[in-house]
Amino acid sequence: MKKMFILATVVTSALSIFSMPSLAQTLNVYTYDSFVSKWGPGPDVKANFEKQCDCTLNFVSLDSSFGILSRVQLEGNNSNADVILGLDLNLMKKTENIGVLAKSEVDTSKVTIPGGWKDPIFVPFDQSYFAFIYNSDNLKRPPTSLKDVVDNQRLRVIYEDPRTNTLGLGLLLWMKSVYGDKALDAWSKLAQHTVTVSKNWSDAYGLFLKGESDLVFSYTTSPVYHIMEEGVIKYKAAPANEGYYSQVEVAAMMKKAPHPKLAKEFMAFLLRPGFQSTILTGNWMLPVTKLLTPIPKAFREIERPTKVLTLSATEVDKNRTVWVNEWLEATTR
Amino acid sequence: MSNRLIRVKTLLRLTPAFLGVLLFTMIEAVSLFSFLRFSHLSDWIVYLNDMYLWRIIRFSLWQASLSSFLSIVVALPVVSCLTHRQFKGRDVLLQLFSVSMVVPTVVGILGVVVVYGRAGWLNAWFGIDVPLYGILGILLAHIFFNMPLAVRLLLQSYSLVPSGQWRLASQLGFSRRVVFCLIEWSYIKKALPGVFVLIFMLCFSSFSVVLTLGGGPKSSTLEVLIYEALRFDFNFDRAGFLSLLQIFICTFIAISVYKFSSANRQDVSLLGRHEYSLKDTITTRVFDFLIMTCVLLFFILPFIAIFNPIFSLAFLHTLVAKATWQAAWVSLEIAMPAAVLSLLFGVSFSVLACSAMERVHLASLPSKLEHLGGMILMVPGLVLATGLFLELRSFGGVQSGYWVVVWVNSVMALPFVLRALMPVLYQQEKRFRHVYLSLGIHSIDRLKIEWPLIRKSVSQAFGYALLLSLGDMGVIALFGDQDLVSLPLYLFQLIGSYRLQESSCIAVILISLCLLLFYLSTRFIGGKFDVGN
Repeated sequence: MKKMFILATVVTSALSIFSMPSLAQTLNVYTYDSFVSKWGPGPDVKANFEKQCDCTLNFVSLDSSFGILSRVQLEGNNSNADVILGLDLNLMKKTENIGVLAKSEVDTSKVTIPGGWKDPIFVPFDQSYFAFIYNSDNLKRPPTSLKDVVDNQRLRVIYEDPRTNTLGLGLLLWMKSVYGDKALDAWSKLAQHTVTVSKNWSDAYGLFLKGESDLVFSYTTSPVYHIMEEGVIKYKAAPANEGYYSQVEVAAMMKKAPHPKLAKEFMAFLLRPGFQSTILTGNWMLPVTKLLTPIPKAFREIERPTKVLTLSATEVDKNRTVWVNEWLEATTR
Repeated sequence: MSNRLIRVKTLLRLTPAFLGVLLFTMIEAVSLFSFLRFSHLSDWIVYLNDMYLWRIIRFSLWQASLSSFLSIVVALPVVSCLTHRQFKGRDVLLQLFSVSMVVPTVVGILGVVVVYGRAGWLNAWFGIDVPLYGILGILLAHIFFNMPLAVRLLLQSYSLVPSGQWRLASQLGFSRRVVFCLIEWSYIKKALPGVFVLIFMLCFSSFSVVLTLGGGPKSSTLEVLIYEALRFDFNFDRAGFLSLLQIFICTFIAISVYKFSSANRQDVSLLGRHEYSLKDTITTRVFDFLIMTCVLLFFILPFIAIFNPIFSLAFLHTLVAKATWQAAWVSLEIAMPAAVLSLLFGVSFSVLACSAMERVHLASLPSKLEHLGGMILMVPGLVLATGLFLELRSFGGVQSGYWVVVWVNSVMALPFVLRALMPVLYQQEKRFRHVYLSLGIHSIDRLKIEWPLIRKSVSQAFGYALLLSLGDMGVIALFGDQDLVSLPLYLFQLIGSYRLQESSCIAVILISLCLLLFYLSTRFIGGKFDVGN
């Protein structure tokens, strides 16, 4: 036993030597983990940016957009972060209100988001639309609108919880912008043929791929992954004639950024080809600027919105709790 | 030597144990108190008036009691059968049982879904459409995760039965039923409250399972509200309130369960156990066969579903990928020190509890200590990690999440370590205390003598801590360190990038690694002959 403890102590202290040295000029970017993973845009973005900046780009990967938000809230003005990357439209106001973000001073006039982009703080870096995905082998007559999804009791639906996930929040807002005051009834109708409401996108999408539902709430760009990486064309995004709700992911720089100059440089870099070109097959989202190279065919063929729906960030921030409670009321009655 | 001097000496000897318990308590208290600093009591009344909160609590109580009750009911005949019968694959089964609790929930859920889901095997082969989403799915998944835990913990109480009693039973020609009622039950029933409370807490705070298989926000847990309060609203007051509420409810349940049960005092036992075969009748044979078949079908099928990707090409790719082994190495880097620390905590707790056992005015201390160690299960992991993060920041911040992850993991594994360690140590204390005292044997010398008797339990405790830390992903994801990608985190990254197939391969590797480590732990620490138990 004694020997074992000595051995254990040796092992423990040997392991502690593995802590990493920190370099002088390191730009710290907080983001969510799938951005940083080997297949995400992270590695390419890092390589491309380091080529031009003579610095080290360090991603701090948190578990989700909510993770980024709460980390920034926890750290406030003492944060090591220079830039936070990976919030979305609906978390913007919330994050801005913490009061730790600086104006970006990036020219966003060339951004190709429907309706343009005017926010002084946040810079968009990719976009897509929320949509229900279906398997066209199993579902011969897919829904053509959100109303179809809600009304058709034979469709089995999986979506994410608006309290724990940005996609879930997206659906909440989509429903609100389509149904307005009648959202409560729509939710109870949907609840009758909902398979389950999962904690995050991974659980929901995993269940869908195992054949547990006809529809899963995801992005219009999701089918492209299956086409390009797996050669599978059966997954499709259901059209919605009311219009899609738009999803834009954004970044911002910190007021007290330890490396303000680098941070500014990175913020501008977000809209350059070195960043934008990594988004398509890295994040499986659409770029927010015109690319120099033609975009892959599968991306050109995705479902386009007939109309784009968005609620203003201020309105979302003001009403989120009320709308979540409305959803709870309708689904737990 | 005067009496007083002896007492001082004993106290001095217990110092390391005191320090261990103190350190643990500090970690637990600090993270909780960093939350409670933000409390406004006036708001709490408002929170208490939330109807949804009460619906959730009612549901959680219901599903957690049912889950733990059923897990134990299923486990009982399995334990009895595993004790009395030797069959091929028994050891493998026990190993599988030991890893079931560390299967990442998302993997476990998908395993259950592949078998019982709408497009699952059961439906495809027999046309049985299981209404999985709702209470049934939650129960199925909880039993899948926790029944094996119950089996492993109850098997331990079987090993406390003195072989003299088995011999007598064998000589008198008792049937298995009679043996169960007369002998086994009196040992099992002492372990039951502990097992029940442990599983209850695990189910009460289960998050992913309840949300994913629950079918909607009707089935939810307090953790969802805590998550929302913490991650979205950044409302520390509410998060602190909800955590306290969870602790309060779990403590209340634990106290009531222990109240209706006899105190956890182990009986004397004899050392080596000899095998005495009991009378075997057709009925018991059929019963055992049926039980084992049902349990195997229920339990093994999801496992087969999880192991399915072994035969795919993608598995080979995963196996040779550098990233896989980097992640495996990171996992080991975290799990090894965490397990050692957890074991040290466990030993501190046990030593202190044992030394208090025979003193009249301290008689309630052991169970209090046990409860203190178990309390960590009631504190939501998110709260623990966030609280620690907050406090550490005031000490200059976290340079690398590594040590925090190790500490939190070691603390979180303690309840399992204690469950494995305490019964045997209690027993040793009860039996040999006076011998050791009169001969003046203590500390290391005593450990040397006791080692052969307790090494099996130590190995199990170590194994549990190792596996739990290996399977953890909650804490690690919070501290977000680019270089700290463990296997479970890697698995989630893969799913996050749509790569479900590769992620299922990683799951296989993670589980295999767990199996291997648990085997090695029982083999090298537990000794050659005790691998299976």
